[in-house]
Amino acid sequence: MTALAPAPAASASAIPVRRRLPQARRRRLVSASLLVVVAASTLVLMLPILIIVFTAFKPVAEVNAYPPTLLPGQWTLDNFTRIFTELPFARLIANSFVFAGGVTLFALVFDSLAAYALARLDFRGNKILLIAIIASLMIPFQATLIPIYQLVSDLGWVNSYAGLIAPRAADAFGIFFLRQFFLSLPRDLDNAARIDGASELRIFRSIVLPNAVPALLTLGIFTFVNNWNDLLWPLVFTTDSEMGTVTSGLTLLTGPGGIIPQGVMMAGSLIAVLPLAILFLLIQRRFVESVGTSGLK
Amino acid sequence: MTTHAPSAPPRRRGAYRPPAPIGGRGPLRHSPRHRLTVVAFLAPAIVILTVFVAWPMVSALRLSFTDASGFGREKFVGLENYARVFTDPDIVSAMGNTALYAVLFTPIAIALALGFALLLNNPLLPLRGVFRTALFTPFIVSLAVAAFAWSYLLDPQIGLLNYWLRGLGIQLGNVLQDPTLAMPAVVLVAVWKSFGFYMVIFLAGLQDIPTSLYEAARVDGASAWQRFRSITFPMLGNTMGFVVIVALIAALQAFDQIYVMTGGGPYGTTQTIVMEIYQSGFRKLELGFASALSYVLLLITLVLSLTQFLFFSRREKDAA
Amino acid sequence: MMKRSLSVLATVGAAALLLAGCSGSSSPAADGPAEITFWHGYTEADGKVLDQIVADFNASQQKYKITTETKTWAVIDDTLLPALSSKEGPQIVAMPAERMPVYADRGAFTDLSDFYAASDSNTADLVPQAVDMVTVGGTPYGVPTGFVPLAMFYNKTLFASAGITEAPTTWDEWVADAKKLTVDENGDGTPEQYGVAIPDHATVANGLWPSLLLSGGGQIVDGDKAAIDSPENAKTIQYWTDAITKDKISPTGLDGIAADQLFSSGKAAMHVGGPWMASIAKDNNIDYGIAALPAGPAEQAASAIGVAMGVTESADDAQRAGAEAFFTYFFQKDVATKWSLASGWPPLRTDIPLSDVSSNPVVAALSEIAPTGRALLPGVVNSTDVISDIDELTQKAVAGGDVADLLSTAQSKIQQAIE
Repeated sequence: MTALAPAPAASASAIPVRRRLPQARRRRLVSASLLVVVAASTLVLMLPILIIVFTAFKPVAEVNAYPPTLLPGQWTLDNFTRIFTELPFARLIANSFVFAGGVTLFALVFDSLAAYALARLDFRGNKILLIAIIASLMIPFQATLIPIYQLVSDLGWVNSYAGLIAPRAADAFGIFFLRQFFLSLPRDLDNAARIDGASELRIFRSIVLPNAVPALLTLGIFTFVNNWNDLLWPLVFTTDSEMGTVTSGLTLLTGPGGIIPQGVMMAGSLIAVLPLAILFLLIQRRFVESVGTSGLK
Repeated sequence: MTTHAPSAPPRRRGAYRPPAPIGGRGPLRHSPRHRLTVVAFLAPAIVILTVFVAWPMVSALRLSFTDASGFGREKFVGLENYARVFTDPDIVSAMGNTALYAVLFTPIAIALALGFALLLNNPLLPLRGVFRTALFTPFIVSLAVAAFAWSYLLDPQIGLLNYWLRGLGIQLGNVLQDPTLAMPAVVLVAVWKSFGFYMVIFLAGLQDIPTSLYEAARVDGASAWQRFRSITFPMLGNTMGFVVIVALIAALQAFDQIYVMTGGGPYGTTQTIVMEIYQSGFRKLELGFASALSYVLLLITLVLSLTQFLFFSRREKDAA
Repeated sequence: MMKRSLSVLATVGAAALLLAGCSGSSSPAADGPAEITFWHGYTEADGKVLDQIVADFNASQQKYKITTETKTWAVIDDTLLPALSSKEGPQIVAMPAERMPVYADRGAFTDLSDFYAASDSNTADLVPQAVDMVTVGGTPYGVPTGFVPLAMFYNKTLFASAGITEAPTTWDEWVADAKKLTVDENGDGTPEQYGVAIPDHATVANGLWPSLLLSGGGQIVDGDKAAIDSPENAKTIQYWTDAITKDKISPTGLDGIAADQLFSSGKAAMHVGGPWMASIAKDNNIDYGIAALPAGPAEQAASAIGVAMGVTESADDAQRAGAEAFFTYFFQKDVATKWSLASGWPPLRTDIPLSDVSSNPVVAALSEIAPTGRALLPGVVNSTDVISDIDELTQKAVAGGDVADLLSTAQSKIQQAIE
């Protein structure tokens, strides 16, 4: 494992001058070697992403060509135009936003409330409830899909946003994740507030939540991305092709004989990933900010 | 994220007052107001989970004792489905494959995630934000698209990876149809896609560790490895416990990329339990059997996770 | 800051709830024609023609109105079960023929015996093997929408450069021609061009090896017994495994889709495929020819690709009558001819002469070879497992396994699957 923490700047003045130079060079050396290692491994790991990006711009002949190339010899927007003509793609993107966005909003609120109760409030059955919630994570979705579908259909919500979102409006993973996080926050502040007579809701809103922003952001991204990319649920649930999501829509992209037009598929995947990438880039800055203001760096 | 450095001395003003117990003292703990508060906090999530998770699970349990297909006639068959889970050679083989998958996926994904988290946590590394974003990108690609991209890379005829490795003298052949290579390949795709998320969780956990601890250790002359072993690793206990359970559960439910890349083949060498559940339910219309298999999977996962949980809680207690 | 975030959350949450009220589906009309939903997987130009035929049917009468929903075949397979289980399913659904028996066995489709018995249903002249496809335990549960034997597509340009003037008509000719067409110019052991693309698993319509086995005089299932372990099948599998591995006329480890791609990229001179290969070959500028699968020692048989449609159990009496009326309309001579020309598949009625379909040369060619067609695993409910058992057998054989052992394993597995 490489060096973990910086030598504190304060000690530099306490160390005799003749020791400072090698330390600075050592730091540059460590920086450089870290950069090489991380950059090289990142590039390798980025290969499939690059494939998606470049293949989206390749004409059909090049996609199936031998020998294969990474970069397109001829850049074309054909695949992108095909995606929008073969599927109601704009509508699907909108649906994806409503679905993933709706689920994320509700889940963040409901999950954090429940996680707070499990982490901070003392009540009988706390541990049992936690185990039950974790246990529900362990049953694969394929098994409960049909009963959930029947339930939602009985409620009359088939092919509606309500039906798509409701089953995901709270999730065990989020509750578990936030509970672990809340547990790791020190209780001194909220205990003090409790003694002063503040209500739990007040403590939750004003003390715990502000300190949980990175965790909420992480969970938010995780939930949004997972629901945006979810295939089986929107696929099965929306029998109306206009109500599908981007991910379920892409599965309708097969040519005759089951041959998947790879270029078009990559183009569609690229468009599908774009909102997520933008979202992450936006959130990422806040994430870094919240760490920066904590005074740890 | 604020933390109090544990080394800060407690303020003393006269007599020492112990911190109030959570939820108030004495009679307040069980007051109706307190109970109402608890209910209010839990209600929305619990209602959703009960209606859309617990109830379908109960439904599935009931179905597991029948030969239902989801529509049409159904008949009570008792424990027949469960007996079949342990006697059907295809199912037993799927269990073995799932175990192999979990054993390969969990440590590799976690090691990769922790490794990169440690690297990215080092302020001596330039462009940390860039790398963090880049390494997180595989996560935002859907598993099906990832599987698709990897299949294309590994195509024996037109795959870029095969072509490049052939230039280096390595013959990959048809990876996804090779009984020994297919399983590592599907594990690789999952590791590739998931490690970014675990890495971010580790990063958050690492940033919770006060630097003053490292300072003190350096002054004491501890090496990098010693600092990792005695500070980083124990203080990551909570986080590690969480990631291990989550990774294990994900591994035991492996499905998406296997469905896209190998369909369970070749010769069922990548057939996992959830693939079996899916095929029994959706292809062979044996919903009752699929439900029984799901419950067996649930039990296995529960046992494994509880063991993990206890193991890591104990470490947490030791570290605290 | 927190307060503002909370109010933002609240507003968006309210907006989401409002949106939740908007749904995509419309409620059915109370009076008027009986509304019927029809799911099918014809996603290309043929789908548009089918939709037009449905529209014509709607226009021709006032009692029934059919709305079509196009999805891929795989998606239909994934979504039919949940839809039926909550009574949200279609009343008519089309699916690959080998998927029908399992649904029929579980009660998803209604018994159509009376429909077939009726004299005015236009079913009397349907291709008999096509009707076999939809019959389970002696009861018909659907009607065919497509039935075509696998055909051999060959690359005329590559044939010409190898000096071959005609498509092979027997197995020996087939292998001989394939050897001539396999070219390894740089001698590295991997041919740049293969004589034929023979997948060893997930073959086109899962039909390649059943075709070979049948032509060799063997069977897969005989009634309710597995029949795969037979001397004829052993000879067939050994013959082809040798041709692939020793003579290297085809790459190993291919699946049906990869084989399609090998042919369409000009790297294989011959390919066993479905009607869609015609348009794919054309798109890839391949001068192709269509021929029947060459004859084996026992006969000239080709497994058929079949698509069928049926009436689901979620249809009430009025909808069922409407579906049957549509089927009758669909099998009218003129409609059947139109469908055949548009879908590129041979006509489903035996009394439509070749001259009527000559305007589409592909259809004409396929109709000529139609007599070689045999339904794949007719009436076998657990075709999923049987097909994967066959796949395992052929894949392992091509990879070098012992044919006798593999056959006896396949025998017991298939026996278990059909029980």
